[in-house]
Amino acid sequence: MFKFFRDGFYRDYIILILVTIIVGAAVSSGVAWAVDSYFGDTIQDVIGDNGEYDLILHVREASKEAALRELERIADQQFKGAVINQTISVAGQANFLFGFPQEAKTEDTFSRLPSIFNGVPGLSSYTVIVEPSVLVRGVHPSVSQTLQQRFSQLDGVDFAFKDGKNMLVVLESAEHSKAVMNEIREILKEYQVLEVRFPIGFEVDVQKTAHAVMEVLKEQAKSAKLSNVSSAEYGEELDALMKTLVEMRHFLLSYASKVKITLNHNSNLVVGEQIIVQGMSEQAPIKGESIAPDHVVIEVLDVQGNQAQGMIVSGSIAEAGEVLVQAGYKYHSDDLVGEPVGEVQLENERYRLNYAISESLRLLEELDELSVEAAVAVERADAVLTTFQEALMQLEVLQVQMRQLNEGLAENGAQSTSEQLIISLFLNGLLKNIAKSGSEGAAEYGLDSLENLDVASMRSSLGSISEQISNVQEIDVQAIINQIVDIRDSLPELDDEEIGKSVRLVDNYIGGQVIPGERIQILVENATIDEEKVEPLIREQLDNQYLNTYTISVGTVNPDTRTEVFRILKEVRATIAGILSIVFVGVFLMLDHASIFSTLKWIRANKKASKNRLVRYFNPVMILGVIVGTALLTATYTLSRAAIPYVSMSTVLIIGAVLGGLIGMFSEKFSPVHADEIMAGLSLGLSNVQIMHEIVIPASRPGLLNLLNRTKQRF
Amino acid sequence: MLKIKGLKKQYGKQIAIDGVDLEVKRGETIVIMGPSGCGKSTTIRCINRLTEPDAGEILLDGQSVLSLKDEELRRFRRTIGFVFQQFNLIARLTVLDNVMFHLVLAGIPRAEAEARAKQALAKVGLTGSEKKYPSALSGGEQQRVGIARALVSNPQLMLWDEPTASLDPILVGEVLEVMEELVQTTKTTSIIVTHEVGFALKAADRIVLMDRGRIVESGAPQVIFNDPQSEIGKKYQRLIAC
Repeated sequence: MFKFFRDGFYRDYIILILVTIIVGAAVSSGVAWAVDSYFGDTIQDVIGDNGEYDLILHVREASKEAALRELERIADQQFKGAVINQTISVAGQANFLFGFPQEAKTEDTFSRLPSIFNGVPGLSSYTVIVEPSVLVRGVHPSVSQTLQQRFSQLDGVDFAFKDGKNMLVVLESAEHSKAVMNEIREILKEYQVLEVRFPIGFEVDVQKTAHAVMEVLKEQAKSAKLSNVSSAEYGEELDALMKTLVEMRHFLLSYASKVKITLNHNSNLVVGEQIIVQGMSEQAPIKGESIAPDHVVIEVLDVQGNQAQGMIVSGSIAEAGEVLVQAGYKYHSDDLVGEPVGEVQLENERYRLNYAISESLRLLEELDELSVEAAVAVERADAVLTTFQEALMQLEVLQVQMRQLNEGLAENGAQSTSEQLIISLFLNGLLKNIAKSGSEGAAEYGLDSLENLDVASMRSSLGSISEQISNVQEIDVQAIINQIVDIRDSLPELDDEEIGKSVRLVDNYIGGQVIPGERIQILVENATIDEEKVEPLIREQLDNQYLNTYTISVGTVNPDTRTEVFRILKEVRATIAGILSIVFVGVFLMLDHASIFSTLKWIRANKKASKNRLVRYFNPVMILGVIVGTALLTATYTLSRAAIPYVSMSTVLIIGAVLGGLIGMFSEKFSPVHADEIMAGLSLGLSNVQIMHEIVIPASRPGLLNLLNRTKQRF
Repeated sequence: MLKIKGLKKQYGKQIAIDGVDLEVKRGETIVIMGPSGCGKSTTIRCINRLTEPDAGEILLDGQSVLSLKDEELRRFRRTIGFVFQQFNLIARLTVLDNVMFHLVLAGIPRAEAEARAKQALAKVGLTGSEKKYPSALSGGEQQRVGIARALVSNPQLMLWDEPTASLDPILVGEVLEVMEELVQTTKTTSIIVTHEVGFALKAADRIVLMDRGRIVESGAPQVIFNDPQSEIGKKYQRLIAC
């Protein structure tokens, strides 16, 4: 069968294969390059020239005009010389490119981005595209500060700043990119986060577990610096939660009943132990007997000498203000009352608080009324003073008159009228009486002493009191009352038992940070720990066969956005080239090689059957197809610099072999042979090459073979 | 001129010819007849090695045909005219090109080849159809183009493989006329496989009857059809009588 090639056609076939490879590679890489170039230009249009812009601000389409005005205002007021350009809108989002002036490209500027652009109307987010830069993705919060400092000190680095979970290392020039990336990689290698992950639903006391894990790690890497960074990833949110919980715990403890225990001499009580008191039960606890449902269980929180403090964790005491003093007994887990421990004082702080609030409300209400009454009283006192002053003046007149009368009597003797005498006696008596009512022994002072009263000072004092009363009346007592009522109403309706349970839960969370189904993260510095080696040890240490350990990088180095985009484009180009290589080889096999395979098959069918069994039953055309397909695809794929993700070179070889084999097997379907024409050619004494050039190829599908044949075809 | 000895051909388990012995003299016209599948076509295809025989010997002027190497075989084939049952014309070539193209490919100048082709076409009555494509011709005309193509190289031996078998009865006559005339005028040694008894009677110098891959009877037409010895011969005799 292959004598067919020896006739000279092998030269044509080799040329065909070479041309197929060259054209296939050229077309594949050409189309891929065109796509790459198109997208590259598009990206250039979208994100500007290298280093031209630093940010892409994504703004709601409806707000773009207002956003532009605000951006222009920011540029004008804060960054003179900044460049703003509106680029394409995608899915209802307008995008603005913003380039800071060179002098404003500082760590400070980039660290303040959220506050700088906070007021841009419709701003949904922004993307930092500062160039030249190196992007470190997924920086672990536990080391972000350290890394930022270290990166900033590298040669060729202008500054570094955090952008969410990423860190951007801005370079002095693009030439430093490779060196800086390498150095950053080296720095990142110095840190390792070992994560121990527990099954979902498994509750972990982070502090204790982390400590146990670190013990194991210390054994493995003695020089390693280890730290528990389990909560680092939660960041500020967890901190805020923890602070809230601490405050909540303080409130709950001050709201709960105060328990003071005065211990007996022989009592040995430790924190965490529980004691029993009678509480509101009719029956006092008796040593050795079961506890009653109304008995109060107290957990010891603190022990100082013979004094201890506790918290009710079960049962409640009466809602009363007085201090309850009861005998305390140890509480055993078998629900039996233990030995007496001392005297327990219980004060219902909750009741006291409520009582104090109620009393405050009463006081305020009384104060309101009192101020009104006091004002009235002052007014009356003022009126009394006025009357007193008038009376005093009249008394003075009287006194003058009396003096005149007395003088008159003395001068005239019997000349005084009897009426004047009577009046004189009456007034003397009256003045004595007034003097008596003023103070003991005042009588001797008489009217003179009344004259000595400082009415003006008294009036001044009354004025001052009146003013103060007015000030009191001006206070919005009702508003205070309303607020206090609100506070009273918002106080939690918790009894001692509920408070106790809440405090214990908060204690558990704060103290142990219970995170269900979570993980422990240990930062390892100055050493590398093989997680596969330590996993069995940690499992053994924590007595948990279901945990897994992983190593997490504290960051991954990526080039800047543009480089990343172009890297992706390069991958796309290589993928397109790969796909096109496969398609083109398939098409060329079908158009060109199938007609040759069909001719070979026809020749084989018309030859004497070979005596060689292997040759007889083995399809050599299919083998040829496999070889040609493999050679064509491998060469085309390689020359076009194709690379399809997850497709290795061996896979490419297999694809080529399968394509060639299939075309070899079913060649007649793609390019049937005109057997009668070939037969005519043979009968006319045509050589195989002539038959191919003049009969087979011209009648085959148009392709490279057909094209190449044009030069040799005479008819 | 041509001597065939013990020629055998088998397709799988199917025996096509089983020891054919035949001798043809120069200028002689042999008509091979027999029922379908008796090995007539295989025999003449083996002569120019369009079909490779499994065994036997074919000698042309004392030269073994079966031992010819590639180039020798091609040269040999150029001296043999072969007319196919299905015409086997090149569909994409014009009538003229169909007739002359192998001459050109054999190295004959195009002008000479063209002139010879036109002559051959004239012999088969197709002058004026040079520019036509086979698809524009009737079956009879196509076969005449096939005949012209076989004749154009002045073959020393013409092999006719049932040239009228694919034609409808109306067109058979025109081809047979051409064949008869050519046989009589050119005096080219011819081996004709046909079922046309009338043509055989008129044109054949000798009739060879085949059955089941073997030659069962051979002789002059009058002898074969008047006094047949074989069963096949007798059947043909009855056919003529009808």
